[in-house]
Amino acid sequence: MARVVVVRDLVKEYPGRRALDGITFEVEEGEIFGLIGPNGAGKTTTLRILATIIKPTSGYAEICGKDVIREGMEVRKLISYLPEEAGAYSNLSGLEYLRFMASFYYDDDESIRGAVESAIAISGLGERLKEKTSNYSKGMRRRLLLARTLMVRPKLAILDEPTSGLDVTHAYHLRRVIKSYSKDHGTTVLISSHNMLEVEYLCDRVALIDQGRIIETGSPELLKSKYSAANLEDTFMKVVGFAQGS
Amino acid sequence: MPKGLRLLVIKEVKDLLRDPKILIGMILFPALILPLMGAAINISTGSLVEKSSGPLTVYVLDEDGGTVAQRILGFLQDNNVEIRLVRGSYEEAIKNVAGGGVLMVLPEGLSQKIESGARGEIMIYYGFKEFSILESLNAQRMSGLLGGFENILVRGLISENVPGANPDSILNPLLVNEKSVIKGVAQPISPYVLTNIVRMQGLMGPLVIMIVLILAMQVAATSIAIEKEAKTLETLLTIPVSRLNILFGKLVGSVTIALLATIANVFAFTYYVSSITSQVTSSIGNLDLASVGLIPPPEGYFLLGLTLFGALVSALALALTLGTLAQDVRGAQSIIGIVIVPIFLPTIFLMMGDMQTLPFSIQMVLYAIPFTYPVLASQSLITGNYAPILAGLVYMAFFTLFTLYLAAKVFTTEKVMTGRFSFKRRRL
Ligand SMILES: Nc1ncnc2c1ncn2[C@@H]1O[C@H](COP(=O)(O)OP(=O)(O)OP(=O)(O)O)[C@@H](O)[C@H]1O
Ligand SMILES: [Mg+2]
Repeated sequence: MARVVVVRDLVKEYPGRRALDGITFEVEEGEIFGLIGPNGAGKTTTLRILATIIKPTSGYAEICGKDVIREGMEVRKLISYLPEEAGAYSNLSGLEYLRFMASFYYDDDESIRGAVESAIAISGLGERLKEKTSNYSKGMRRRLLLARTLMVRPKLAILDEPTSGLDVTHAYHLRRVIKSYSKDHGTTVLISSHNMLEVEYLCDRVALIDQGRIIETGSPELLKSKYSAANLEDTFMKVVGFAQGS
Repeated sequence: MPKGLRLLVIKEVKDLLRDPKILIGMILFPALILPLMGAAINISTGSLVEKSSGPLTVYVLDEDGGTVAQRILGFLQDNNVEIRLVRGSYEEAIKNVAGGGVLMVLPEGLSQKIESGARGEIMIYYGFKEFSILESLNAQRMSGLLGGFENILVRGLISENVPGANPDSILNPLLVNEKSVIKGVAQPISPYVLTNIVRMQGLMGPLVIMIVLILAMQVAATSIAIEKEAKTLETLLTIPVSRLNILFGKLVGSVTIALLATIANVFAFTYYVSSITSQVTSSIGNLDLASVGLIPPPEGYFLLGLTLFGALVSALALALTLGTLAQDVRGAQSIIGIVIVPIFLPTIFLMMGDMQTLPFSIQMVLYAIPFTYPVLASQSLITGNYAPILAGLVYMAFFTLFTLYLAAKVFTTEKVMTGRFSFKRRRL
């Protein structure tokens, strides 16, 4: 299997703060890979580097063999990124927003229409897509944005806490969509989350990240048995606890 | 134009045109306000002229009753003055003009004094109530009439004492014929009328230019901050569009709007100028103002448009550059609040006086500010002094390129996401 994401020794320093302290991991094609860790662990920073928004202080990262630092434009053609906090243009309707975003990826009307059609299905928002996005609830907006992220059939979907702050019904919908989309299209997904239940349900493999460092990597089952924990939450507490103790 | 840029520009322009603040503030306001002001000036001066040429009421306390008093009253009546004779003491008489109006007191012995070759004195009391222009016009009219009457008296005295003489050549032995020389050609127009027109043009143009500039800068500065605040920028930075295209999309979008505003402005300004110059035309007879150089030539308007556009583009580039660093809309607006100062500077300095009369150091500062050139251009419409304007266009081009370079620098690095404009140093 091809490696879609390769991250080596990523370091990111902000003035007076080291957000990433040597992150290394790989994501295989078709995999759903989860980054889990407490607030401020460096999840968003890692994803932003991969999404070409910020540059690492040192280290290396590539997506499908393209260097995220030097081949930003090439990388942007392969990925689709759902930021942790994202909005849609408030004076566009959901449909207009989807069409606008799709037209950056495709040249012909037919492909654009195809992408919008698939987004309509993914979002499950139906008629409400005709309303201005300023009318949407948080959950609806998140569904629209996830649909936008997936509609362009990216090689790699980068989802930063796709369900945080949503109620059970919206979160449930989003999780199911992500899982089935990845399975149907063989899409590689890199996801960050606080929700261990979600991670256990979605992810083939996870990396536990704390204070800018990766502490453990493996499948949820492997990690659970390694730390003889009942669930991922226990595992997480044990691992993070060890890390802080050491 | 690359596809990504085209899409972004279309979205930007649509967004901006949907914003009522921009439509009204940048396009409708200037397009309406100048013609309205021209019309207001015409209407108010027109109605003033009408009122002040109507019958003038004058209260008269005639204590003289002699022939000269009779002649004054007759003269005034012939000149559309309504005489109201009052009696009693002068203290009582003066009450008549407490609410405005004119009281003339002809003291006892006036006729006798004048007829015997001595000077006679009359008193005029102008009542003020509203301190309006009309009250002062009435006063001017009254003293004008009395001057006219004095003239008649003088002429009578001359022909009485110097038989056979022409009173005119005694009264005005020196005939002063004033002409204004414009571009080397003498024109039959008084220097006062001329400077008034030039000042009025130099005043209004810059004011409107300033308003449009400020609004356009706010548009540009907030355009990126809006995306930050609405959390749409982060997504935009990860779609397959180059950073420069995003930046230029913002710039071209706000330039397009600014261009519309400029066109609206130049048209409104042209209309305004023609409406005030037409007023002057009627007041000085059938003088061909265009040939005098008072109606600006088309190339003058072209240059004005060009400098306006240049100033807008450089202002927008500057605003965009600074706005890129702002965290949110409020931040962007406060940055613009600071940058607005150099926009006011040229307008204030040049409204009051000429570039040449300013100290050298201030001249240098003004020439360094791109917004000086539209002001100069609107003055050069009449003076025809285009050289500094052309130099200014070249300067503005460099200024714009440089600021855009800075904006691109900021925008192509992660500063656009992580940078913040803070006035206090961050504590480490
Ligand atoms: N622009 C910035 N300037 C300075 N420090 C920053 C900046 N962005 C992030 N940081 C710091 O970097 C560290 C990692 O932040 P990051 O957002 O990656 O954490 P996270 O794992 O996504 O946390 P959360 O679960 O709360 O989203 C934090 O300590 C944060 O304060
Ligand atoms: Mg985060």
